[in-house]
Amino acid sequence: MDYKAPVEAYTGVVREVTIGKGNKSLKIGGENILPLHFFDQGSNPNPVKFALEVLDMKPEDWPEHAVEPFKDVISDPVAWAKKCQGFGVDAVSLFLMSTDPAVKNAPADKAAELARKVAEAINLPLIVYGSGDEKKDVEVLSKVAEVCDGMNLLIGPVLKENYEAVGKAILDHGHTAIAQSPLDINLLKELNVKLSKVFPPDRIVIDPLSSALGYGMEYSFSLIERVKQIGVITKDSMTMMPIIANLGGECWKTKQAKENKKQGLLWEGMTALSLLLAGANILVLRHPETLKLIKETIGAR
Amino acid sequence: MVIIGENIHVIAQAVSTAIRERNAKVIQDLTKAQTEAGADYIDLNVGPMKKDTEETMQWLVSTVQGVTDLPLSIDTMNPVAMEAGLKACRKRPLLNSASGKSGSKEQMLPLAKRYNCDVVISVMTDKGMPPDVDSKIESIMDTVTHANELGIPNEDIWVDPILLPVSTAGEGQRFAVANLDFIKILGDVLPGVKSTVGLSNTSNGVPDELRPLINRTYLVMLGRNGLYSAIADPLDKELMSLARGEMPEIVGLIYKAMDGEDMNLSALSQKQVEYVKTARVLKAETLYSNAWLES
Repeated sequence: MDYKAPVEAYTGVVREVTIGKGNKSLKIGGENILPLHFFDQGSNPNPVKFALEVLDMKPEDWPEHAVEPFKDVISDPVAWAKKCQGFGVDAVSLFLMSTDPAVKNAPADKAAELARKVAEAINLPLIVYGSGDEKKDVEVLSKVAEVCDGMNLLIGPVLKENYEAVGKAILDHGHTAIAQSPLDINLLKELNVKLSKVFPPDRIVIDPLSSALGYGMEYSFSLIERVKQIGVITKDSMTMMPIIANLGGECWKTKQAKENKKQGLLWEGMTALSLLLAGANILVLRHPETLKLIKETIGAR
Repeated sequence: MVIIGENIHVIAQAVSTAIRERNAKVIQDLTKAQTEAGADYIDLNVGPMKKDTEETMQWLVSTVQGVTDLPLSIDTMNPVAMEAGLKACRKRPLLNSASGKSGSKEQMLPLAKRYNCDVVISVMTDKGMPPDVDSKIESIMDTVTHANELGIPNEDIWVDPILLPVSTAGEGQRFAVANLDFIKILGDVLPGVKSTVGLSNTSNGVPDELRPLINRTYLVMLGRNGLYSAIADPLDKELMSLARGEMPEIVGLIYKAMDGEDMNLSALSQKQVEYVKTARVLKAETLYSNAWLES
């Protein structure tokens, strides 16, 4: 008797989310299969995308081998962002670290102005992350949304503590939101339910928090995997959003990545590859050589 | 459904203070309220009881028995407190609880025989909490066999599968489903045994105002699968109505949700919709979040 491989067909479809505008836009999500299950019925119209980090201030704790690819532009975020384009990324992710009250407490309008300059200088969509300070981010991210009106940036983190105010600014000015929750699927769903009451769910991207290899990556892996299963298999509307894995910063914080370059690239690369296998739709990396390594590994052009 | 009133519980600050200060009124008020609300047993959860164990237990049992004729459930892990409690009971009490742990097998189960009482036996063993239905069944069969050898018949045994909070990320809903399955097959593998659960534990971690909805819905679901009794809050009137079968419409809707029937939610009242959504969470059809009623 001939063997016939079983083929699954699921009813859930991850929402396809567009970030950026016009020829500076890209789509993520849209799949109705589990990650890499190309043998099942269905497809993933938008294979995984990659962004590189840009900081709004000269990084203080990066090892030399992480600074090296950008050492000529490390104090100039606009030039840094432009340089990222040469490494074959799909988007740039600007981190407004300096606005953190515990870092420089830089004012919101200055940060927003920088975001606008970076967005205008590049030919790619821009992701903007605030410092993660739930109070300051209300000010900073709202200002970014306003100053960059209509550019459809991907802005976050939108948290359970500030989703109403930040969500409103992101919506009013035509952007897309990153909903972030602390590594817990129940809290992740709760935030999506609440945010969706004031914000269109097809403009939400999930940031489940991405831990580095050796520092809890398994939790992120299981969570991303579960979000995909619940969305695609059981068709839970509130988990059917694409996922951003913001892992570069987490990986390069580790002792192992700081120790030497090869180890750092592998640390970031293994984390990225794992979360990609779990189902992340867009990955934020720090080192351009990691990006190259991952692209070679998965056979992407 | 036999309801064991849970409200005399040392985790409640008022109760632990009342016991320490020998304040009979607080304890008797709680006893009367539960008795009037229709509880079948009064649970006395006294915790580990480190000092004045026997004297405290005697005081508590006689204080409670002063205002109720209901049988008592003596709820402690301390065998000395347990024996003092059982000794002081006028009616045939419930020993709550024994387990498959060796200490419990050696010290608690013989008490059930000696005082000829009913006994709650949990699925716990020296290896901890069995993680799935098969291992729960395996553990409880071992412990019940041991109890039978001591001369305790199945009819006197109330099996507790141990409920865990449904809100625990990733695991909670899996446990909720496993315990529904466990209760369903228990009667087949151990004919004659009864069952009980610590119902309110299911809703631990759920926002306070929503806890009763989880408890009530899960009680109906477990009841359908054959649950004999629950340690629960008899002061929750709606829970008691459901337990007595006074709300057939709601019960019917919960059954339909259990069976995965398609329902037109827009034709239902808000309260009915809430029960249906909650049943779907408890059977793990939809992912739990604190906002489960809102999506």
